[in-house]
Amino acid sequence: MMSEAKSREEVIESLNQVAAEMHDKMLKGQPPTMTLPVRSKTNIEFNKKLGVYKYGKKQTIRDATSLGSARQLLRALHVIDFIEEMIDTAKSSTLREMYYISEGWGLGKFGTQNESNNIAEDLEIVTRCMREDFKLRPEEDGARMIGNVTIEERNRRGDWMRINCRDDVGDSGYGLPYNVEPEKIRLIDQDIDFIMAIETGGMFDRLVENGFDEAARCALIHLKGQPARSTRRMIKRMSETWGKPVMVFADCDPWSFRIFASIAYGAIKTAHISEYLATPSSTYLGITADDILAYDLPSDKLTPKDIEALKAELTDPRFATSEWQDQINMMLDEGKKAEQQALAKYGLDFVTDTYLPEKLAEYGLSI
Amino acid sequence: MKQASISEFFEKNKHFLGYDTLQRSIITAVKEAVDNSLDACEEHRILPDITIELRRVPNKKDRIIMVSQDNGPGIPSKSIEKVFGSLLFGSRFHTIRQTRGQQGIGITGVVMYSQLTTGKTTRVTSKITKEATALKMDIGLDTKKNAALVSNRERTHDFLDYNGIPVEHGLKVEAPMKAKFQRGRKSVGQYLRMTSIVNPHATIRYRAIDDNGEIIEEFVAERVTDRLPRPVRSIKPHPHGLEIGALNRLLRDSTERRMSLFLRHTFSGVPMRAMKETLAHAEVDPATTPNEVSPEEAQRILNAFNTVRLMAPPTDCLSPIEDLLIKKGLSKSVDSAFVATVTRPPNVSLGNPFQVEVGLIFGREDVPADGAVDVLRFANRVPLMYQQGGCLLTKAIESVSWKGYGLEQPGGKGVPKGAATILVHLASTNVQFTSEAKEAVADNEEVFNEIRLALQEVGRHLKNHRKKSAQKAKAQEKFELVNEILPAISTKASSLLGRDEPDLAPVITRIMNAVFCEDEVTWDKEAKVHRCRIKIHNYTARPRAYSILAQYPETDTATFVENELGGRREVKGIWCWKLDTIPPGEAGNIEFSIQGLEHNDWNATEVFFRGSGDIIGASKIDEEILEQIRTEEEIATKKALEESNMALDDAMNHDVDNSGGLDAEELQKAMMGPIGERLEHSDAEEAIAQHDVDDSGTLDRKELLDATQSDTSRQSGLGEWGDE
Repeated sequence: MMSEAKSREEVIESLNQVAAEMHDKMLKGQPPTMTLPVRSKTNIEFNKKLGVYKYGKKQTIRDATSLGSARQLLRALHVIDFIEEMIDTAKSSTLREMYYISEGWGLGKFGTQNESNNIAEDLEIVTRCMREDFKLRPEEDGARMIGNVTIEERNRRGDWMRINCRDDVGDSGYGLPYNVEPEKIRLIDQDIDFIMAIETGGMFDRLVENGFDEAARCALIHLKGQPARSTRRMIKRMSETWGKPVMVFADCDPWSFRIFASIAYGAIKTAHISEYLATPSSTYLGITADDILAYDLPSDKLTPKDIEALKAELTDPRFATSEWQDQINMMLDEGKKAEQQALAKYGLDFVTDTYLPEKLAEYGLSI
Repeated sequence: MKQASISEFFEKNKHFLGYDTLQRSIITAVKEAVDNSLDACEEHRILPDITIELRRVPNKKDRIIMVSQDNGPGIPSKSIEKVFGSLLFGSRFHTIRQTRGQQGIGITGVVMYSQLTTGKTTRVTSKITKEATALKMDIGLDTKKNAALVSNRERTHDFLDYNGIPVEHGLKVEAPMKAKFQRGRKSVGQYLRMTSIVNPHATIRYRAIDDNGEIIEEFVAERVTDRLPRPVRSIKPHPHGLEIGALNRLLRDSTERRMSLFLRHTFSGVPMRAMKETLAHAEVDPATTPNEVSPEEAQRILNAFNTVRLMAPPTDCLSPIEDLLIKKGLSKSVDSAFVATVTRPPNVSLGNPFQVEVGLIFGREDVPADGAVDVLRFANRVPLMYQQGGCLLTKAIESVSWKGYGLEQPGGKGVPKGAATILVHLASTNVQFTSEAKEAVADNEEVFNEIRLALQEVGRHLKNHRKKSAQKAKAQEKFELVNEILPAISTKASSLLGRDEPDLAPVITRIMNAVFCEDEVTWDKEAKVHRCRIKIHNYTARPRAYSILAQYPETDTATFVENELGGRREVKGIWCWKLDTIPPGEAGNIEFSIQGLEHNDWNATEVFFRGSGDIIGASKIDEEILEQIRTEEEIATKKALEESNMALDDAMNHDVDNSGGLDAEELQKAMMGPIGERLEHSDAEEAIAQHDVDDSGTLDRKELLDATQSDTSRQSGLGEWGDE
């Protein structure tokens, strides 16, 4: 959060620490290294104080004894140099721009954009800075939102624009910028009972067309698959500022479960900043494995990849609760998955007239 | 055989004459033509240029005209009818030599098949150097008389080669026949490709033309060497492996007056001592006339042959392709990552000299990696296309445990799988086939074992190659790491922090922590030598000492020209150098050059070492295999020495005047001895003139040894096995 944002000097100092670790090792006649937390499900732990999952104590040392790792270290140094230069000149760049700029870095240039994203993430983790501190912007597309929520966004000219996300926007809703921190977005007012996060664009549009935001007094947010950082951050800010529950409405498949986990508990890739991104009070509304049976929904057979993913989730600490274990095991037993839009089997209005009201009622949200 | 039955005979036996199916008939026809061309060229020491064309005839089902043309000597007009017009059955019994023509019935068979299936004649055009014009004629067969029927005989100036240039000498055959064109493993194309692999001195052009004039298949296999194969020589039969029937026939047909002379002159490998012992053993009077020997006596002689110690038959009558040329032939026909070849030393089985050669291509990109490897079988330079399963050559391949060499072999036996080709060539004066069809080599333990040994050797090469490739890639990465990335990290980190750059040497040692070998073989166009450089980098914290061994092509012509470190020959094809101790962080170098090889004869070496630890990019020498090779070499040397002593002893027995040396007459008789060679009196005199060091007018034992080993005497026929 911006209140905790680091000063230029602090950022540069922590970045230099990364270079110093390498230099110190070489002075001792040892291969240069970069120490990182292990970024896998085996190293995420529940942080009781924060209520989210954070990286544990397991560390991995990336050392220059293999060509691949050595290249990573060299790239990290180039990125550090690049960030420090941007900080000095008060510029910022997108990750994609940095990827192209790296063309001029000789041996340190990136092979793929993914590599540059990963290095930026590595540096965030090691330095405990956020990429906003690094003046690096994501490419990611912010989500869309519709509902009776009023915000102010500071526009390019530096003016605060007041926007009601129901009355001042078209059918495509309000588009979230990549930065949703208070310096950019202020939360002004609302008249909603809850926030509903929706996985697919098709279902988001269906609910908008059926006027579900007004009928159910909620803010609809389209997640666009695995939600971007700004989407998760915005959900968290709205939920915590206004004290509104978050209901996640997704497909019924292993990937949807992961989307939910990243919203509620924190994603494995960004566990270093889970406390900024995760909303522990989120609820998985549906579609659940038992919905498939209860509503007799058209379903597809699980693919081998699905089964593999479900089995991996069984040992993921974020899904260790008995509810999740039951859901996952049930899915494995049935061998079936279903899409949100399968509800259209009973007509276009079934989802808003029957399914969602019934599901929301379970959580005390009556329409 | 009754003359009237020749066409009947052909009809009845077409399955083993190679004319049983329409697909096979065309291959057989091409084979007869190509064999003839190759043999004629070889005999006249001409580098063969052979063109094969198949033309589909329009509006006729299964009708193809086979056209073959060569640059051979041509056939003199008086012989053409004989060559093309009469079937010569029966083997040339007294001629024992490695020939292509052990299969099929020759070019007359093509004329016969053409006539039987189309009713047409075969057109033959022949040009010999000393005549100004070519002779053209159409030949048919009078099957009753077993003679040629010639028509349209004419002289022509219009005989051109594939470039449209008038032919100086050569032969062209155009035979229409009922046949089916096909592609694939059993096709004319494949047959010719295989032929070109084992005849690297030949250029073979092939084209198949559809009935609408479109070319459906075409390639040119250029020769990769200008060296003609060593002429094959015939030898006399060796008593081992002789059957009673054959012995009786030899006895009956002999014109010798005495059994003692019969034994010495009819066979190879029977020195005077062995002749005496054989006859004594068999209780046969040396003075008996061969024609009067009874069947019982003959049987006793045969038994005696197996108890008396005989000399081995000569093996230099064989004409192997030699591994370098196989390698070249293989490389030109398929693109691949790796080729290994082995030519085994000649060996003897049942009195028949034989020699085995194998080749292995690995990493072909043109075939799927999960199929069975391609097996290419050859007997005396002739491709074997059929009956792969029942062939000894295949069985030998199946018997090797390929898994250990890195080829997949489901169930641990059978033909291995992979993007590879295995070639096996058996050269022998007497290739035994399983049947008259002569497509599969019959079981023979000695041949089998030789093939296995050769296959295991190429297998070892493959294994080393794969290990080395993997290690090389790894080493390459490490070199890139310490030479490029690490210095860049150091520079960047130092400049970010404003600190001095650290000393990287200890870091590099720490990262590499190994000894690396780099090697390369390059061709120096100017000096016409192959240069080999081997560099051993010691990236460890302590000094290292090694002996380095490197593979090089050891041939009659290859010689070391630059080799500062000296070293010594370890075994055939392996040289060994002792390297000075290499301190940490430094490298040891070996450089040497070899003269006398053609460009591309040598592209890469294999490096081995003696010493502790590992060297990445080199293998620890397998002392056991080295010992095995050394033992084989020793045995071979010892055997050769024994044989030569035996031959010399026998020759010196002819010193009837006890002068201590052989005069021309005695020398002549001596050469009639164990090797059964007839030496002209003038040659004998010449040999004496040349090698009579002490001017005694005779050759003593030592001088005779020199004479039999000298090259000039080889040309005069002394110590060699000339044609009959």
